[in-house]
Amino acid sequence: MSETNSKVEVRDVDVFYGDKQALNSVSIDIPKNSVTAFIGPSGCGKSTFLRCLNRMNDTIEGARVEGSIKIDGEEINDKHLDPVILRARVGMVFQKPNPFPKSIYDNVAYGPRIHGLAQSSDELDDIVEQSLRKAGLWEEVSDRLSHPGTSLSGGQQQRLVIARAIAVNPEVILMDEPCSALDPIATARIEGLIDELRENYCIVIVTHSMQQAARVSQQTAFFHLGDLVEHGPTETIFTNPREQKTQDYIMGRFG
Amino acid sequence: MSIDTIIAFSLLVVVAGGFYAGRTRAIRLVGDARRELHSLPNYYGYYVALWTGLPALLVLMAYALIGGQVADRMVVSELTREAAPLTSTYLETLTNDADYQALTAAAAQQRGRVVELNEEISRLRSTRGEDRDPAMIEARRAEQLEVLNLATDTDAQAVRRQEEISQGILDSIAEDAGGYRIRAGFQLELGGNAAKQLFMADARRIADGRIASRTSPALDAAAASLVETEALIRRSVAGLVILMAIAGFGLSRFQIAPSFRARNNVERLVLVVLFLSSLIAILTTVGIVASLLFESLRFFREVPLQEFLFGLQWSPQIAIRADQVGQSGAFGAVPLFAGTAMITLIAMVVAVPIGLFSAIYLSEYAGTRFRQIAKPLLEILAGIPTVVYGFFALLTVGPFIRGIFGALGFEDVVTQSALSAGLVMGVMIIPFISSLSDDVINSVPQTLRDGSYAMGATKSETIRQVVLPAALPGIVGAVLLAISRAIGETMIVVMAAGQGANLTANPLEAVTTITVQIVMLLTGDQEFDSVKTLSAFALGLVLFILTLIMNIIALRVVRRYREKYD
Repeated sequence: MSETNSKVEVRDVDVFYGDKQALNSVSIDIPKNSVTAFIGPSGCGKSTFLRCLNRMNDTIEGARVEGSIKIDGEEINDKHLDPVILRARVGMVFQKPNPFPKSIYDNVAYGPRIHGLAQSSDELDDIVEQSLRKAGLWEEVSDRLSHPGTSLSGGQQQRLVIARAIAVNPEVILMDEPCSALDPIATARIEGLIDELRENYCIVIVTHSMQQAARVSQQTAFFHLGDLVEHGPTETIFTNPREQKTQDYIMGRFG
Repeated sequence: MSIDTIIAFSLLVVVAGGFYAGRTRAIRLVGDARRELHSLPNYYGYYVALWTGLPALLVLMAYALIGGQVADRMVVSELTREAAPLTSTYLETLTNDADYQALTAAAAQQRGRVVELNEEISRLRSTRGEDRDPAMIEARRAEQLEVLNLATDTDAQAVRRQEEISQGILDSIAEDAGGYRIRAGFQLELGGNAAKQLFMADARRIADGRIASRTSPALDAAAASLVETEALIRRSVAGLVILMAIAGFGLSRFQIAPSFRARNNVERLVLVVLFLSSLIAILTTVGIVASLLFESLRFFREVPLQEFLFGLQWSPQIAIRADQVGQSGAFGAVPLFAGTAMITLIAMVVAVPIGLFSAIYLSEYAGTRFRQIAKPLLEILAGIPTVVYGFFALLTVGPFIRGIFGALGFEDVVTQSALSAGLVMGVMIIPFISSLSDDVINSVPQTLRDGSYAMGATKSETIRQVVLPAALPGIVGAVLLAISRAIGETMIVVMAAGQGANLTANPLEAVTTITVQIVMLLTGDQEFDSVKTLSAFALGLVLFILTLIMNIIALRVVRRYREKYD
């Protein structure tokens, strides 16, 4: 992988929750304009690692992250860096759709308002519409933007949350099992959306579904017990893994 | 040991015996083939025990509830029946007594004159301008007073004559046991309702060996009769209890067979017990509300509803006798509503921000250590008796406020003011709001907070824009519950806000609330069917409706919130 192509460079990252070590010396490069999938059994540290990339581990009491994480060459695992500004650059979508107790419009406008991205209300309307369009939700909600976000279906809520993340125009979007609470049809829509978003964003997705990883990602990383066992192009990982453990997991022998 | 204790104790023994008998019979029926039994042996035991104990227990409960009243009724009817010939003689004598008839006729005429004069005076008073004649009014009023005194005198004479006649009749009765019973019956028959109750209450005290308000041979006779009747009732109840226990035991034991579904039947009996308990709770509530309603209706027969709800003057002092000249009482409750509203408002202004902010601090910012110490401390605040808050308000806050506003140049600032009562009540309500809001804020899902942080929001932005809106329905519910607490709070206001029913918007003046007036109306010596006393029920009804509405809204709001996040 060439130096210029990677968006995120991670070197020797350890994560501790209190005395417990959750990640051991993880190093990986995550490329631009592509989807990288993190796979592995429950408790292997893939979500923990994802949360390192936008410093969400700061909100957990007793969590400690050591090592170097650079986005576009800039060190982000640094006490002096403001995580609030970082999180505007690195958006996140969670396992369960979590629309705020506000209208659909206000949910999407939340980030732009906080960060002062719109100079006028017309501009804000525009950002909201563009974000909803990119998330493939505009057609369904354009006539009821003032309805509460919680009134949408599960799949729509998850797309609303993606629109909310896109609205602040981030460079990286982290997705933590974004389809685990959704039915197959909603999942297919989200996966299609992820594929479209790849053109403009660097996307990292944590998933339990091997098929999903194979369908949506170009790069795959396999975690096990806090170690990054193997990573590389998705095709290689799924057809010709280097490590026996990776093969066993992909074949469904454990996990 | 009293007979009641013996009955209760032997009932326990019989129930235990029932359990044992049911169990052994079930076992004996099947021998070693335990599998043949539909239920475990214990269930057969429970079944017999329940049937032995429950009906007997219900009889005992009914006795405990109404036994005393039944005894009273029986004694009263027995004694008055014995005295019936004497009573009719007395009434006859009274109608034929020329003196008495003359006196009552005179009293009626004099009272009619008072009413006439009253009308004339009000007509004279309503005259305006040159025709108004103050001297005339004065003269008529003097005359009215004179006639009124005369009427009172005549009344007293009539009563005296009445007593003479009844005394004469009583004297004709022999001074023996039978004679005293007849005297008791005579007094019971002729006394009013209140006199009858008083008489029986005294008789009961004597019967129980306590100290009565007065004693007389007649009372002793009634007490002896009461003791006898009660013993009779108790013996019959004891017999009935034993009968019920035996019948229940026999019938249920007879039912036991290997295929008998003891387990399911016990289940059904348990259901009956649970249902009866909830029924008692519900009926009690219904009873309280009904009594409130009926007494209020009696009040509204005297005072029109619109006068009560919209009248601007509250002064419940009313003449003791119907024909007394003096205050007729004013029952406009608006000053009370206004006072209640003002104090509640002040309390909320104190309690809502402080309570809410401390809840936010405790749930979102404070470390575990601080939280562990601060939360119990806040809850101690909720455990302080309101009377302690009351004298804190009266002795500390009141003088402090007077001092401050006195120094600021306000004149006539009093110690007892709406402000001091409201402030202290606010302090009392803080833990209420903070602990409810704290629960609600904690139940906002962490994923919402994470979502907001992940958008690059700061902590306070997250709290203001995501956590609080999500918790809002719950917080509103907490505030409404707090308001109904504030409206119903009494002790602080009695002590700190004074009693004057002032209609004022100045929080430095003394005001009074609905609850305080109820206390004032019902403490001390009261006549229980005067308008003054009845007005307390009307106020209680208003209070009940207000807090009920608040609670309904609060519970609705809270429930809507729960549906959303569980």
